[in-house]
Amino acid sequence: MNSIVSVSSISKKYKLSSKKKEVTQTFFNKIFKKKVIDEYWAVNDVSFSLNKGDKLGIIGNNGAGKSTLLKILSKITKPTTGKVDIKGKVASLLEVGTGFHPELSGRENIYLNGAILGMTKSQINQQFDEIVEFAGDQIIKFLDTPVKRYSSGMYVRLGFAIAAHLDPDILIVDEVLAVGDADFQKKSLGKMKEVASNDKTILFVSHNLTAVANLCNKTLHLERGYVNQFGETGEVLNNYLSALQNNLFEQSFDHINFAPGNDLVRLKYAKLTPTLFGKQLIADVRSSLKIDLEFWNLVDNQNLNISLHVFASTGECIFNVGSSSDLLNKGVIQASLAIPGYFLNDGNYLVSFMVVKDKSIVLYNFEEVFNFEIADYREDTNWYGKWPGYVRPQFDFSIQQVSLKL
Amino acid sequence: MTFFNISSFQFSKSIELFLIFSKRDLSVRFKQTSLGMIWAIIRPISTMFVFLFAYKNVTNISNISGYPIQIVIYSGILFWNLFATSFQSVSNSILISSNLISKVYFPRMIILFSAIAVSLIDFLFGLLVYFVLAIYFKINISAYIFLLPIVILVTLFISIGLGALIASFSVRKRDLLQVIPIIVQYGFFVTPIVYTSLEFYLKPWFKIYTFINPLVGLVEFFRFTLISGYQVLSLTEILISVFSSFSIFIFGLSVFHFKKDTFVDHL
Repeated sequence: MNSIVSVSSISKKYKLSSKKKEVTQTFFNKIFKKKVIDEYWAVNDVSFSLNKGDKLGIIGNNGAGKSTLLKILSKITKPTTGKVDIKGKVASLLEVGTGFHPELSGRENIYLNGAILGMTKSQINQQFDEIVEFAGDQIIKFLDTPVKRYSSGMYVRLGFAIAAHLDPDILIVDEVLAVGDADFQKKSLGKMKEVASNDKTILFVSHNLTAVANLCNKTLHLERGYVNQFGETGEVLNNYLSALQNNLFEQSFDHINFAPGNDLVRLKYAKLTPTLFGKQLIADVRSSLKIDLEFWNLVDNQNLNISLHVFASTGECIFNVGSSSDLLNKGVIQASLAIPGYFLNDGNYLVSFMVVKDKSIVLYNFEEVFNFEIADYREDTNWYGKWPGYVRPQFDFSIQQVSLKL
Repeated sequence: MTFFNISSFQFSKSIELFLIFSKRDLSVRFKQTSLGMIWAIIRPISTMFVFLFAYKNVTNISNISGYPIQIVIYSGILFWNLFATSFQSVSNSILISSNLISKVYFPRMIILFSAIAVSLIDFLFGLLVYFVLAIYFKINISAYIFLLPIVILVTLFISIGLGALIASFSVRKRDLLQVIPIIVQYGFFVTPIVYTSLEFYLKPWFKIYTFINPLVGLVEFFRFTLISGYQVLSLTEILISVFSSFSIFIFGLSVFHFKKDTFVDHL
């Protein structure tokens, strides 16, 4: 066996003690009532092994267990069952600048952070100048200033510079590339590629499929804690993308009795269609989205309209739109909505809609009808970090020179 | 060294990390203050004055120790502050470093040990003041002063042991954090800190008490190494306290050792 990392069927269980939300929950029935404990397997029976020099990309939706897996691999937490066997020096970067103390100077923090990440004092001494140089000119001036006075950019640059000079056999990285300004990003990507080109083993979690494709030779696709696929990057990414495409975001119910809903309304059909450009496989920020809905109305002579919510994966509601209201009779009702391109930012979104009577009474709330992802797309920019915000509008925004005088 | 689980993290590196954490806590401690380390002295001195005030003006406690009451009180407080502050910071250390623990792996025990740095340095400054007091009251320094490092070590052991217990359990349930002030506040009065064990030395329950509260033996052992001719407890009683402190230390660290791998899941 010459595998440097071998993971054999690890699982991680979390207990979620869900508090029942009762108004009359007193101290006593807290004690006497048995708590409802939900078990939740964040990582379930995951196995894979890597050889020296392998670069593994770990992909999957939010909640697929990527972060938990990284935490287990970097020994931050123990798996509930299974075994991890790693040979060599591991450095894990789940965050940039972990353990920085705001009151300490940049210089002191280099030593502190270096030691936390597993460097010895002599190693830090050796690389000190390189680290400072890598972090940029600005840092040199403020080397003896407490980092609480640093701008967030400087903070992150210093953190990354230290991490970049660790010299592990195995590097575990969680999307920390997406930091700093464009210049610094080029530098960090360059450094990552430099590390990747030699025989270091890297485990890299990312939402950015392009980065995974460029950097990794193997890919692990997690889904709800399970391994969906593990293999050569090209193959896994192709399957991943085509699966996303095949998942047409379509639901239809033939039988009124088995359809979701209640005695007033039931869902018949729902479809989300993104417009795709050229060779594009999944919706990206350019795509407009069309939502078609059909439902059975089971009561005559009702004034109905639809209220549709789009939520971010974090749970915030991005927007809520209402359809026009109309007097409708028993039968099938159809509604459609178009969301223009260049509106939603890249990310995962959830759609729910409710059927509303007389513009005030909710007859039924169809939750999580669609769960879709919008990929990133950029041209004409040198910035590769996560684009902030939930919306990504293209407004007219011009810049011009009005004078040559200073 | 499997007990400390540093097989993949070299021992020398653990020591370096311990030193750098200690240095961090010390250099942050008096940042942006003008008096700096002087604050470390002000605290025990002012506590001493509070009790002097109470003894002279409020109650009528007779000092049967045969030593100036200032010396008794100050040495007691010095000891108590070492125990109490290190115990408190060890207890809170894991929760305070939760961000670090959930992002990086390093031997978790380093956090416990480095939490005592500040208390130890404060103690050493306070000790200087003791010598000044001793000169002022013309009290000779004990011939057993060479045993002082041992008392300090055993005191730190019991603080770390108790602190490790509280730290291990409070990660999941925060109830135990409420116990800390109880131990620190009431412990101060039930241990001969501002008086000596002579006050209840002849009580029938005293032997058992030294076993239950090892701090009794430790504080008298501490005074024994500082004050010339001071010997209130027998060697056996002191050894019982030392033994019991050491057991608490081992027990606390063992509990910590078995719980440490899942801290992150509850933080």
